[in-house]
Amino acid sequence: MVIPEEVRQQLKERFEVALSGPVHLTLYTKPGSSRLILPEGFGCPTCEDAREMAELLRDAAPEKITLEQVDVTRDSERASTDGVDDVPTIALASPHPLPVPPHKGEGEVAYPPQKGEGGAGRIRFQGLATGTEFPALIDAVERVSRADHGLRDESLAALAKLTEPTEVMVFATPT
Amino acid sequence: MSLANRMALASPLIRAVAIEANEFPRLSNQFRVRGVPHTVINRRAAVVGALPEREFVAAVLEGAGVAVDEPREHEAPSGPTTDISG
Repeated sequence: MVIPEEVRQQLKERFEVALSGPVHLTLYTKPGSSRLILPEGFGCPTCEDAREMAELLRDAAPEKITLEQVDVTRDSERASTDGVDDVPTIALASPHPLPVPPHKGEGEVAYPPQKGEGGAGRIRFQGLATGTEFPALIDAVERVSRADHGLRDESLAALAKLTEPTEVMVFATPT
Repeated sequence: MSLANRMALASPLIRAVAIEANEFPRLSNQFRVRGVPHTVINRRAAVVGALPEREFVAAVLEGAGVAVDEPREHEAPSGPTTDISG
């Protein structure tokens, strides 16, 4: 994947304004995979591009964004602990303290990490985030950095009714 | 950033996974993805199309088995569904 210098510069300028706190990215890949498309579960034709994309993000704001790469062929246990089933996957972690939900008392710790969450974070992009997903990934980095979910109060009140871990998978396409 | 991601940022109980449907055909078939966005909650309930915030939150809660009040105001969908079945 060839990323034009102009895009790199635009991203740097954007992140200078839009990021406030640190963001930790974890990229789960099969390094060295061929670009050849094989039956699902074999190989990883987009892993190399995903690595370049993750490095693009980190390099645009290296003082704020950290990147850890997990080779799932060597560390399948880590992928399992973090609840990652497929590659490439990028997980975003917020270092900000989690808000205490309204139904919990002041001073109480918020929820413990979900089973399968590990420390990688609960916002993930599975597959190469191109097309409409690339702006979504950029926006996710910025919102995690600012701890800015932007949801309405009534939405937060509704979400406070959740008592069990909930997985929300959103299928999208590049176009 | 999708509403699902923002919800995961707001609630420590939510994990949001944006999946490139074409790249994972087996997963897409498993959850009968024919158009996008296609949202699957806890791998058992699904909602197709882009919904406004209030309705999306209600759908996620309903999919998670939480009783919710019906939205009192109708909001127009924020975006169309794209058919990828062709």
